[in-house]
Amino acid sequence: MSNTSAKGASSKSSGGQLDAQKIAQGVWSNYVKKTPQRVKLLDSFMLFLVAVGALQFLYCLIVGNFPFNAFLAGFSATVGQFVLTASLRMQTNPENKTEFQSISHERAFADFVFGSLILHFFCINFIN
Amino acid sequence: MRWLFSFLALVLLGVAQAKSFSGSRLLVILEEQSEKEKYSALLGDLNDRGYQTTVESPKADKLSLFKHGERAYDHVILLPGKSKGLGPALTANQFLDFMKSEGNVIVALSSSNTIPSSVQSLLLELDIHTPTDKGALVVDHFNYDSVSAADKHDVLLLPFPNPPRRDVRNFFAGEGVLAAPRTVGQVLGNNSPLLAPILRAPSTAYSYSPKEEADIVEDPFATGEQLTIVSSLQSHNSARFTVIGSAEMLQNEWFLADAKLNGKAVKTANREFAKQITEWTFKETGVLKVGKLLHYQNEGQNKKLNTSTAIPENNPTIYRIKEDVAFQVEISEYKSDHLVPFFPASDDTIQLEFSMLSPFHRLNLSPIGQTANSTIFGVSFKTPDQHGIFNFRVNYRRPFLTNIDEKRQVTVRHFAHDEWPRSWQINGAWPWIGGIWVTVGGFVAFVAVWLYSAPTEKSTKKTQ
Repeated sequence: MSNTSAKGASSKSSGGQLDAQKIAQGVWSNYVKKTPQRVKLLDSFMLFLVAVGALQFLYCLIVGNFPFNAFLAGFSATVGQFVLTASLRMQTNPENKTEFQSISHERAFADFVFGSLILHFFCINFIN
Repeated sequence: MRWLFSFLALVLLGVAQAKSFSGSRLLVILEEQSEKEKYSALLGDLNDRGYQTTVESPKADKLSLFKHGERAYDHVILLPGKSKGLGPALTANQFLDFMKSEGNVIVALSSSNTIPSSVQSLLLELDIHTPTDKGALVVDHFNYDSVSAADKHDVLLLPFPNPPRRDVRNFFAGEGVLAAPRTVGQVLGNNSPLLAPILRAPSTAYSYSPKEEADIVEDPFATGEQLTIVSSLQSHNSARFTVIGSAEMLQNEWFLADAKLNGKAVKTANREFAKQITEWTFKETGVLKVGKLLHYQNEGQNKKLNTSTAIPENNPTIYRIKEDVAFQVEISEYKSDHLVPFFPASDDTIQLEFSMLSPFHRLNLSPIGQTANSTIFGVSFKTPDQHGIFNFRVNYRRPFLTNIDEKRQVTVRHFAHDEWPRSWQINGAWPWIGGIWVTVGGFVAFVAVWLYSAPTEKSTKKTQ
């Protein structure tokens, strides 16, 4: 009894793995097909920022945080840029059109550029 | 006419010039004016050294150590007399006030006279203890003079004293033998750092009261090197006080007497010793004087600035933390009538403290130069990583030398915001500088692609 049940479970789980793979593939193909090109661009930029931020954090963990203000400046530059990019993604995503009708895409982009420039100025100033 | 005036001025100047650093007015208190003859050699020596000596009886009406609230004399010698009280002008408080206004005192005791009550309380106040029995004296059965005290053994013959420690200068060295007849031995209290023995009794001596009829001395007041024959005190204001246990030491008959120590004929050298004691007590020797004290920033454009001894003190009032600073002080020593360069004893050093409440640095000063009459001591150091109000302080207190306590206050500020190193000068910051610029570069690339890709998206939107 127990043997068969175990076999059944294993076969089920392998089937589950296949399902998960299929689901992931489905999600990915859906994403590639249905997402507008600009949102994809935003997503890849955010992914890039996450990677850069994680690298800096890892470096700080391994090597140490001296000089601490430099670490704060470098790390918060990526975090801040990520937040700004996420806001731009929310405002320009066609799916959120109903919520952000009053804000045109050009306006949102100008806000994003302005905010980013201020962020960069602060970070460079802070690292001295 | 003019030459006469200048000659007169020169003569007066010569008269006013004593060899003492602090003044030339000397009061000798002696009850019996007839005893003055006994001390004539001592008084003659003092006059030759430029002192204006006044000999007064303690019973004199006008006698006072003060006049109009100021010291009337610079130095006092109190010689023993018969009476038990010294009168209202010479109380213990009067003597202490006299020392508070930097007057110097020599007190000579004698075992044949009782110690006056005011002197007794003065000695107790200064933590110097004398035997309570009247007539108690120091006896030694090994180092006595067999000419004058063959039976009683109460005239001690001693060599000149050695310095109490290796790092203390000896002002009382000499060749010959000292006679200490019928001495009142003193014991110095343990608690006072101001006391220093000048001449200790030998280890075989003890204090003995001749009134006790017993053959064996039981429970003596003090024995051996506990007993001092001549002891000294230098107060915080450098006023000096010396107790001589035997006034007879200062009398003519012992200044150059023939004596016999263990069968060997010797000459006493009390005159030389009396000269040394009066010289030291009346500040002819062992007086230190601080000259120019300077400190300066020893880095950047100010390096080696302000080091000339010709210009007066012009020290900066503010420094920064972690800054190189140099310190210099001129110290001279007064030697009978002129200033000479001062050098501490071989095992001793002068120290500089850089302190805020407590010292952050305590550094040895080393001699870095010399002028005609002073030594320049100096040291360089880095200010600590602590901002606040600091003192450069030289606090030098040694037995037999006048005290030095000099302070100069400065402010130590923290870094100004443009004095920190830039980020690229710290190579530990490079990864994060890189992080910022990669983010900025990514942003620029993103903006470019966003703008480049804009029209296609708009067109698709329109078609939809």
